[in-house]
Order: sequence, then structure tokens, then C-alpha cells
Amino acid sequence: MNTEELIARMAGAPAPAPLNRGRMAAQFLAAVLVPVALFLLLAGTRPGLMAALENPVVALKTLLPALAFGLSLAALMRLTRPEAEARAPLRLLALPALAALGLLVLAGVTLPPAGWIAEYTPFFIVECAGSILVLSIAPALVATRIFARGASPAPGVSAALAGLASASGAATGYSLFCTQDNPAFFVFWYGLAIATVTLAAALFARRRFAW
Amino acid sequence: MSDTESLWAGWMQAANGGDGQAYARFLHAVTPVLRGIVRARGAALSEAAREDIVQEVLLAIHAKRHTWSEDRPIRPWLFAITRHKVIDAFRRIGHEAAQTLGDEAEMVVDAGHEAALAAREAAEEVEAMLGQLDPEAAEIVRALKLREESPAGVAEQLSISEGTLRVRLHRAMKKLEGLGRRELR
Repeated sequence: MNTEELIARMAGAPAPAPLNRGRMAAQFLAAVLVPVALFLLLAGTRPGLMAALENPVVALKTLLPALAFGLSLAALMRLTRPEAEARAPLRLLALPALAALGLLVLAGVTLPPAGWIAEYTPFFIVECAGSILVLSIAPALVATRIFARGASPAPGVSAALAGLASASGAATGYSLFCTQDNPAFFVFWYGLAIATVTLAAALFARRRFAW
Repeated sequence: MSDTESLWAGWMQAANGGDGQAYARFLHAVTPVLRGIVRARGAALSEAAREDIVQEVLLAIHAKRHTWSEDRPIRPWLFAITRHKVIDAFRRIGHEAAQTLGDEAEMVVDAGHEAALAAREAAEEVEAMLGQLDPEAAEIVRALKLREESPAGVAEQLSISEGTLRVRLHRAMKKLEGLGRRELR
């Protein structure tokens, strides 16, 4: 087919619906919130949640993944534009990562060595990391489906961000149930679960974001 | 806002509203620019191979046209899609020109630089077309359409009336349009 024919054929095709980024964000938020809400409805929030949140360390257990969620979602939405710059929004994501690292160091300094892994029991690990992984599945699938409609200048980065946003959203919700308040526990296991989903999305969803 | 920018944006806006003719005009207008970019980067390729890449870029523009927001300039969007697909195509065919494109990640994050590069290539393409006009007509187009100088000032420099300037500009643009169409065939 020559270029003239191609142009004629493309010009005859119906115009697509424009990308509605607000609606995309709302759909993704719903995909994060519904599983989390169901989980909290079934399992309940931790006893004395509001009082526990007055402790800054406990509050950070919710705030840090929430910050990672907000920043990764903003970056993901930004990267639906082909002309978007990929590096700047990624730099911001260093903020929650550094804060989490700071918490880990603080725990290392303030807790006796035995306290670092005091809550590292198989049950708590499976409950914590397993819940975050399971709660991430639906939002990661939805994120891949809706954000791949964009034209990311860096499909691999967008795929990873879809995983990061999903897992950090799930971790934010799960933190309202979680009673492990030792940063040496939650930073490590939340971080590992989030990193696993991010890596899996980068590996398996990249092709969906490619164009 | 440059003339090309507003013209292309206007056509694309109409195209997204369902105006197929405006869309065809937009695609016809950008195709010579795409050819210039592909030719600059793949001079060693056959014409048919270069045209295949141009068509791939056109198809990507078509497939991703819903990602352009009407409140944003169209050229950075267009050049970003072009860059993405041209890199893709050269990488796939393993052409040595891909080596000169540098690291993709570097280029992706430096969208401004790439857009400027693409714009420079587009400008070279335009300059080549202007070279086929007589010198005065080419200068009129450069002054009014590229440098966006005031018609009154240009008319004074050329010692002609503004009316005559408008007529000569019109003729020059018609001739350029003809040259562009000939290149399309």
C-alpha cells in the first residue's frame, strides 16, 4: 500500500474517543479501593486504629505507601503522553523510599538487635506480604488495561509504575489492618511486597504498554 | 504560536471531532516532515525501506491520536511519536543508523532535546523546499512564516506594498504546496 492510500484509509476511519485522564484515574482508584474495602470489611481495621495513628511511626506506615501511591499514579498518568519527560516524576519517588530507609535506620539504632526481627514470624510475613500481593492483583490488571491506552515514552517504566501504584495503594489500605508497628518489620516486608509487584508488572505488562 | 503549530493543531482538533478531510490534510502536511526526519537518519536505506518507516510513524500517529490534548502544542507530541517509532524501526532493522541515535533511555528523558532535533530536521526539509523557490519568494516565506516578522516591516525591506507582499506570499505558498504534493507521490 502506498502512503497516499494509507492516508486515505486512515482519514476514513472514525475518530477515537479522546483520552480522559480524569476518568482513567477514577477507574484505577476504584480498582484499588474495592478490594481494600472488601478486605477491611471482612477483616476489620486494627483495634484502636485512630489512637495508634497518633504515633508518628504508625502513621508513617500508612502515609509512606500513600505518598508512593500518589506519586506513582501521578507519574503513570503523566506518562500517558508521548512527549512527557520520564525522569522528573521518578525522582520524586525517591522521597518515600528515602523516608522508609530512614525509618529502617532509626529502628536499627533504637531497637536492640533481637528486636529487629522480633516480628519476623512466618504467619506475620505471609499475612502481611501475602495480603499486599493479593490486594495488588486487581488494580495492577486494571492499571495495565486502562493506562496502556496512552502512548508512554518509556513503556517499561509505565508498566513498573502500574505495579508500584497498585501495590502501594494496596499497602496503604492493608496498613489500616496491620498491627506490626515495628519499622524493621513493616518497611522490609511492605517494601519487598511492593518491589515484587513493581518488578512483576515491569516484566509482564511492558508489552501491553509498548506501541 | 507558529503558523505550522496553529495549522496542524486546528486540523487535528477538527479531525478528533470527526472531520476526515481535516485529518487527511494534517497527515499530508506532516508526511514530508516525517520523510525528512527518516531520510536524515537513514540515508543509507533504500527509498522503499524509508517509506515503510514513514508509514509506521503515520500508523502510530493514527493509533495514538487520542493521546493529544487540544490544550497542548501539537509539535512536541508529533515529534515524540515520530522519535519513538523511528528508534523502534531502526532498532528492529538493525540499521547502523540506530547506533547514532544513542541510548534510547537517554533520548526518552530528554524530550526537549529530541523535539528540537526533530524540529531542526523539519526546518532543513523546509529549507530544501524553499531552495526550489526564487530567492525573493523564499525570503518572504522565511520572514513571514518562519521568523514571524511583521508584514509591514518585510514589505518595507523589499520596497513593495503590503498588498503585493500578500500576493507573492500566496503564490509562494501555493508553489510550496505543489512541491509537497509532488514529493508525496
